[in-house]
Amino acid sequence: MPQETDVTIPVADLDHPPKPPVFGERQRFMLLLIAPAVAALIFFQIVPILTGANASFRDWSLHDPKLTWVGLKHYIYVLTDPGFIWVVMPNTIFFMVVSVAASLVLGLGLALILNQKFPGRGLLQTIILLPLMVAPVVAAIMIRWMFNDQFGIVNVVFEAIGLPPQPWLAQRWSAFSVILLADIWLWTPWFALLLLAGLQSLPKEPFEAAAIDGATRWRVFRYLTLPMLRSVMVVCIVIRSIDAFRTFDIVWTISAGGPARSTELFSIYAYIEAFQSMNFARGSAAAMIGAAVIVVLAMIIFRVLNRWVEVSK
Amino acid sequence: MTAASSTELSLPPVRKGFWAMLAPGGGKMLFALAAIAIAFLFAFPVLWLFLTSIRPESGVYYVHRGTEFTWHNYLEVIQQENIYKAFWNSFAISTLATILSLGVTVTSGYMLSRFKGPIPDTWFSLIYVLRCIPYISWVLPLFFVTRQWGIFDTYWGLLLPHVAVHICFFSWIMKGFFDGIDPSMEYAALIDGCSRWGAFFRVAMPAALPGMTALAILCWLYTWNEFLFALLLTSHKTPILTVVMAQFVHELGMEWHLMSSTAILALIPALIVTIFGQKYVIRGLRV
Repeated sequence: MPQETDVTIPVADLDHPPKPPVFGERQRFMLLLIAPAVAALIFFQIVPILTGANASFRDWSLHDPKLTWVGLKHYIYVLTDPGFIWVVMPNTIFFMVVSVAASLVLGLGLALILNQKFPGRGLLQTIILLPLMVAPVVAAIMIRWMFNDQFGIVNVVFEAIGLPPQPWLAQRWSAFSVILLADIWLWTPWFALLLLAGLQSLPKEPFEAAAIDGATRWRVFRYLTLPMLRSVMVVCIVIRSIDAFRTFDIVWTISAGGPARSTELFSIYAYIEAFQSMNFARGSAAAMIGAAVIVVLAMIIFRVLNRWVEVSK
Repeated sequence: MTAASSTELSLPPVRKGFWAMLAPGGGKMLFALAAIAIAFLFAFPVLWLFLTSIRPESGVYYVHRGTEFTWHNYLEVIQQENIYKAFWNSFAISTLATILSLGVTVTSGYMLSRFKGPIPDTWFSLIYVLRCIPYISWVLPLFFVTRQWGIFDTYWGLLLPHVAVHICFFSWIMKGFFDGIDPSMEYAALIDGCSRWGAFFRVAMPAALPGMTALAILCWLYTWNEFLFALLLTSHKTPILTVVMAQFVHELGMEWHLMSSTAILALIPALIVTIFGQKYVIRGLRV
């Protein structure tokens, strides 16, 4: 039997690990790293949001701000407004789903095309990125102009091929389609850019193996490209869904929520309540409700998509 | 033997189904046609904008008819002092906002990527929730807040909110960049006696440069084209290009010709940035 040595080897006491200091050098470093960002967020995001939240509980109309506390009155008003429940919210969700799905599919298609080598590829890529370079407000003005019922080019083309011209922006669903079209046009390049970057970072070997095995293009796409792109796609979908939910400027420029408030998204509803009905408090309450919905919704989307990615691995 | 197998591998793939029905070269033709159609669809609104901008004022309502073209709109636009100011302001704001946003978020993204524990968790949840809050619910109060602080209609009053907007998204993306960089080099630097800041500035940041370049280009383009903040947070003292453009087309007067020529002028810097920058964007966003 070997002699036990007297040297005590320092063994980590697993039952009582040394407590990390609550505010040690490491923590100070962490806080210093985020300090400028935190300062900017507090002053220019959190303070305004709290101001708005505070306003939503008060009697704060723009022409006569009494600032008296009214509790949940504005929230109850918005949540029992049939226009908000049956038009604005369904519109917003529908807009988010269609816009994100369509620009994802189109962006993926474009990314696949741009990932190949062919003459004129660079030119095509620059043209596809054009919507990222034009100010969205200008693009929206231009699209409204193109769909103008008297002078718009779209109706000119319709007449030329023998179809009846449409009053595009005077009907609910055609106006909504124009808005969706504009949004998809604006955001497809964004998806294409991120997915193209994703495609180019994929490893080459699986594709070479598939080529040797004689896999068809569709099978390569379905069983190699798509699964490997999933994590990039999840990030894109989550970020873009949040943004699509709170879309304001292009809807405001193209239809301003009309005709008869039928194409309103919730940020348009909040804006109209705040500045046209001159009731800042009610607008803030609507914005808060929208924010709560999207926080929960984004969490669900993120969870579901993440699980989908995990399962597929 | 090896030669034989390599010739076997380089055989053209067997064409099946739809592609086999086309004449030889038909697939290529179809592809080229599709590419041209896509390019046309994406370029059309911009093309239309350009066409409108070179029509005389009387011709803008019937852009598709008539053959009079003129550069007069551009001359008229560049004689306006306001446009010069707006160009300069937009350029300065975009550039400064890009530098500040990146400077603030690179450290924040690094922190999110390299550390675990309650502080990063709290920070991540905070920026995630703030990212979800619609612009509308804080741009409106922001108007009152910047007035109260006396920075309404100044560079700071527009710059700092822009930086605040970018913090959430950029921190998230920066975290992704740093996640893709092996931290062992930083540990080596720390062991060799580098301070934490030294490891960050000398080792981690250079490795994240391609990603930061990509974000810088996207950030610049975004700020250059941003409208809502510029509309609400600035006034006559600090004209911003997008607002000036939108003001050409309002209820009182539809100056389509001036709006479109300004928009085309505003497109030029963005086009230059994109043409030279797209390569870096695609390279930098590879996570």
